[in-house]
Amino acid sequence: MLDTASSTAAARQHSPLHRPGTRTLVRTGVIALLLLFALLALPQLLSLYYIDTMTQVAVYCVVALGLGVLVGRVGLVSLGQAAVLAIGAWVAARLLFATTQPYPLVLLEAGVITMAAGTLIGLPALRLRGLYLALITLMLAGAITVVLATTNFPNGGHGFLGYNGSSVHIPAIRRPGIAASDPAYFRYSVVVAALMFLLVFAHIRTRPGRAWAAIRQSEPAALAAGINTTLYKLWAFALASFVTGVAGGVLAGAVHYLYSIDFPTQDSITLLAVVLMGGAYSLWGAIVAALLLQLLPALLNNWGVSADWLTILFGLGVLQVLTTAPAGLADQVPRDLARLGRLLRRRVRRGRPRRPARSGGGTG
Amino acid sequence: MPSWQDFQPFIVSGLALGGVYALSGVGTVVLYQATGVLYLAFGAVGAMGALIAWSLIHAGTPEWVAWLVCVAFGGAVTLAYGMVFGPPLARRGPLVKAVATLGLTLVLFGAMDLLWTANGGESRAITLPTDNGGFMVGQVQVNWTQVIALCAGIALVVVTGVFLRYTKLGTAMRAMANDREITATLGVPVRRVEAAAWLGCGLIAGLAGLLLADLVALDATTLTFLVISSLAAALIARLRSIALTFVAAIAVGLIHDLLTPIQSLSNYRDMTPFVLAAAALLVLSRHRVISLSREDA
Repeated sequence: MLDTASSTAAARQHSPLHRPGTRTLVRTGVIALLLLFALLALPQLLSLYYIDTMTQVAVYCVVALGLGVLVGRVGLVSLGQAAVLAIGAWVAARLLFATTQPYPLVLLEAGVITMAAGTLIGLPALRLRGLYLALITLMLAGAITVVLATTNFPNGGHGFLGYNGSSVHIPAIRRPGIAASDPAYFRYSVVVAALMFLLVFAHIRTRPGRAWAAIRQSEPAALAAGINTTLYKLWAFALASFVTGVAGGVLAGAVHYLYSIDFPTQDSITLLAVVLMGGAYSLWGAIVAALLLQLLPALLNNWGVSADWLTILFGLGVLQVLTTAPAGLADQVPRDLARLGRLLRRRVRRGRPRRPARSGGGTG
Repeated sequence: MPSWQDFQPFIVSGLALGGVYALSGVGTVVLYQATGVLYLAFGAVGAMGALIAWSLIHAGTPEWVAWLVCVAFGGAVTLAYGMVFGPPLARRGPLVKAVATLGLTLVLFGAMDLLWTANGGESRAITLPTDNGGFMVGQVQVNWTQVIALCAGIALVVVTGVFLRYTKLGTAMRAMANDREITATLGVPVRRVEAAAWLGCGLIAGLAGLLLADLVALDATTLTFLVISSLAAALIARLRSIALTFVAAIAVGLIHDLLTPIQSLSNYRDMTPFVLAAAALLVLSRHRVISLSREDA
């Protein structure tokens, strides 16, 4: 497990015994509004540059979601998720060039095939824990990167690999008919991402989610409680790989051309960094992570600031998160804002001489 | 299948590469044993040290000063990291400690990309004077840098082994590897011993960076993530045995380079450390152990 000290923060957000009340209604309303805003308003407001960026955000929040399930829910740290994304993109690109199947079907197939591959990567997880698991996934990611560098991504060639090295005219990876333009494809990717979030949410709120929570707290205790830890750990890997594979499929259509140098091993490390910064224990954390990973570089690029500053920032962010804020930005920022609010309120109260200031009570 | 003649030069380069892997591997294992931290920034520290050395040489500083600065930089950064982030993370699991060093890796990596931009494909290189001299073994040219790399690996293993076995500080480090709390109760200045381990590991990182910059390439990305390959040797030894780390490092280096002349496998030779480490981990952990101890996590 990543850390027991942070489990309480996660447990608070992850109570299966939630009461369906006004809180849930408000939350659902907010999510629906945000989704509508993303689908209807954003493509109108943004330039093409930022629409492309937001498509990447939609892709990567699903990737971060998958890693968040592993890290935050089950306590399995994987340093190979970017390689899994590359597998998903490869499979999707191969299928898109080879067949004329409808796009959603290709996404589904890419997800399932990546799931098989990811579960294979997850097999060592049955024996290894903690540090060793993280390292073996890093090793496997390194190996996958080497293989990809040799096989390359499909570009309309023949044979199993579908790579045509001497082709002058490389055809673009096709998009779904209903989403050929960039704004339409952005909407498409948001819908896919929302479906993936729903899938993960459904898992977390039901039996697997409870089993994962038990495994994260203590594997021996979960075993003693009669939970099939082998099955549920594999299940987590399968789910994470599935959503990552689907994200890879969306990525293939988004960029049109895939190159193996775009999937270096260090991406897996950066990915873990932003997921930890965003907050692995909450679904919002995945969105924060994707914004950090894709939107910030685009903004900096636009302002003419080197993206290397971002790498430095991510590094500092990891150190900060691990030393002071284990639940990440998605948890820390609202809490800090609430604290700031309390502080300001007290200031205001102190400003009025008539009312007695509340005595005692730390800010927590 | 290539003939024996084709393999010969790669035995030499493989041994040299293995020696440098051993250098990194042993440094990692010693630090892990003494402090419980898997130092993933090993490569980044060495790379930055080498780049600083390159800049110094470029600016006209005597070469030996630049090399010393490179090694000292590794020691200083590593020691500083250990002093600042060691204590707050001391009670956390090994995984958290390792991921935190990834944070340092990213900081250094970003800084390197920022300060030493790859403008217009200008390539940098550090050439040690030992590159030119050399001798022949049979028909194979061996240069002194390769000899130094292998010898540095062997020397480090021997010196570290003797140091851990016979000196007071070494004994304290081994005690801390067993149990930090009990060691502290026995009156060992835990923090000071840890500081020594950090410094030692950092100096080794600087040295490895310098040698790798010459043997492989002076490139931030390559050197930073070469640590993943050199980690394989340490992993095969399960981060415990120094001797086993050395043997594994030599094996990884040899197999990697010996695959080069075999055409069908040549492109995949970079997979060697990953495949070997993954296989070793799987074999070594085939017995399922459930432990309540956080140290194992």
